[in-house]
Amino acid sequence: MSTKVKKPELLAPAGNLEKLKFAIHYGADAVYIGGKQFGLRAKAGNFSFEEMAEGVEFANRYGAKVYVAANIIAHNENLDGAKEYFKKLYEIGISAVIIADPALITACKEAAPNLEIHISTQASIANWRTAQYWKQEGIPRVVLAREVSVEEIRQMKEKVDIEIEAFIHGAMCISYSGRCVLSNHMTARDANRGGCAQSCRWKYDLFEDGVDGSVNVSEEADEAYTMSSKDLSMVEHLPDLLELGVDSLKIEGRMKSIHYIATVVNVYRKIIDSYYENPENYQLNEAWVDEIWKAAQRSLTTAFYYEEPSENAQLFGKPDRIPKYNFAGLVLDYDEDTQIATVQQRNSFAKGDEIEFFGPNFKRFKQEITEIWDENGQAIDIAKHAMMVTKVKVDQPVTYFDMMRKRK
Amino acid sequence: MSNYQPELIATARDIEEVKTVAEAGADAVVIGHERYGLRVAGNFDVTAIGQAVQHLHACNKKVYVLTNAIFHNDIVQELPDYFTGLAELEVDGIICGDPSVFPILNELDVDLDVFWNPETLSTNYETLKYWETKGIKRAILSNELALDAIATIKEKINVPVEIQIHGMTCIFQSKRKLVTNYYNYIETDEQLKQDIKSKNMHLRQSNETDTHYPVYEDINGTHIMSNEDLCMIEHLQEIMDARVDSLRINGLFKSREYQQKAVALYREAIDRHQDIITDYQKHQLKQQIVTMQPNDRKLDTGFYYKEQIY
Repeated sequence: MSTKVKKPELLAPAGNLEKLKFAIHYGADAVYIGGKQFGLRAKAGNFSFEEMAEGVEFANRYGAKVYVAANIIAHNENLDGAKEYFKKLYEIGISAVIIADPALITACKEAAPNLEIHISTQASIANWRTAQYWKQEGIPRVVLAREVSVEEIRQMKEKVDIEIEAFIHGAMCISYSGRCVLSNHMTARDANRGGCAQSCRWKYDLFEDGVDGSVNVSEEADEAYTMSSKDLSMVEHLPDLLELGVDSLKIEGRMKSIHYIATVVNVYRKIIDSYYENPENYQLNEAWVDEIWKAAQRSLTTAFYYEEPSENAQLFGKPDRIPKYNFAGLVLDYDEDTQIATVQQRNSFAKGDEIEFFGPNFKRFKQEITEIWDENGQAIDIAKHAMMVTKVKVDQPVTYFDMMRKRK
Repeated sequence: MSNYQPELIATARDIEEVKTVAEAGADAVVIGHERYGLRVAGNFDVTAIGQAVQHLHACNKKVYVLTNAIFHNDIVQELPDYFTGLAELEVDGIICGDPSVFPILNELDVDLDVFWNPETLSTNYETLKYWETKGIKRAILSNELALDAIATIKEKINVPVEIQIHGMTCIFQSKRKLVTNYYNYIETDEQLKQDIKSKNMHLRQSNETDTHYPVYEDINGTHIMSNEDLCMIEHLQEIMDARVDSLRINGLFKSREYQQKAVALYREAIDRHQDIITDYQKHQLKQQIVTMQPNDRKLDTGFYYKEQIY
């Protein structure tokens, strides 16, 4: 495979303005956010127009882009205000909107003809003819269904000249996205308008129904039936997608923490940059995999990329133990002479704690907390107040935006 | 207005059932093959579809073929031939839900009416107006809509509107083999696993012992069906007041006798609504359905009168 000159875009989620800043600072080329309307993550922070404007302004400083997910499957009563909304997004400087419902495509094309539209994964685009359809509709980019394989993406890329965005990391719907209304039926919450109760991850009993009645298979096996997917991760296989010329590599998780986003973005940024520096000699560094696991919340899988997911791609029984890490502090400043960092507390940390500093470009080092001072310069044993500004003695230079993590 | 007469549609699992539901009063029959269509009642190859067309056209009834799977590259390669074959058979409509069909049909010189059924995605009139511009000849609405929303959609769009009025509805589709995966996980013997496709199965919420969600696997993956069977026989007046054009009975996982009887009862109900029907008569029709209803399947009105939050 010849080397592609153009690096793909690394696209990260941002549930709020602070997450947007971390995602971009840690290396995302673009972020996707939700507004107050038309988005599928009702519980994510979501952005007001003012916050969007600030996000765009921040992104511009890095040459990064901001996309807005407007990916609900609308009902009649949700259509009001769509045109004004898209017009406003365009004025703010949003680079593209991610849409699943053609009603919103129509509204967007009419109100903001120059606002780029990407078709959401909720539209379940799983073949090259459908990609071709959207190309003919003037759509520059499609976000693929999570059910497509690497080989299928190769075929799509060969047959259709359209930008392809594919998920590389994060939680997965176990259903075809958008084709599940379990939540609607079990909780009266509309999954396709942001109310998903994740009923797929609940516990069920499976029954075999015979002429003489039903047998509770789950009871006999003493193991609940469930449909919870492990989380997608392409950390060990990214070159397979890079070689195909996938245009945008997407990380899932507008609900995820700052620590999660910074960690995951940092790793994939490093992988992409390492690969393009020298594609022929690219080698996976185990440290990147190790780092990804520090943000992992579930076991990981490559899902549909290489084979149809078996039971090994699902979460059954007791969850695997994954060490969890906290965002303990944010570096605000560093004094080279004294080797003392100013750290804003984000989670409690204390003298004697084993912590790890990390920052963009895969900087990371571990140390023990030896000394902490509060704002008044008083030595303290523990930084327990949320957001308190402390001074911490550090072993290596750090800088603003570096983070300090601590194992839970 | 006065010549409004809704079309009654029924699914059929084989040519035998095509004949019985037509006899029982269906105006049109929905058939298909799981390779191309979602949740077919039984598999019809092209020859069998031809037989259905022949039978139904002879009695002035229609045949619609399910081709609404979420296609992957392998199947889209087969679609030109499949569509050409269906056009030659002169089926009265193909039920589609994947936009791939538009470029494919545009390249073929065939006469096929596209009925649009993307299952959960057919929820508002602007969406359906968009698909109208792509040439769809019918809009099949999502089941998770209230009747007043359906009435609004019917008012605002030009193509005929179809809804489901009876039987179970699909509430989940995964490409994964979730039942097989589960059996593999609990390590039951091979024999059991091979039987999965021949067995009827259902899921019960562990904390809601009164629930019953049929689940099964086919080429398209795993399908989970609703806890209740939709039953709108008492509420046809409102549906007909909204001038909904086509009303569908889904016979999936019901006996032949049940499906035949359900079609006959709805035929009677629709015909009576053309004249005058008392609440008592409606109730009696409903009671006949209640009588034949399997014990483990509750009846309800789905989302037609139910609010959703989000």
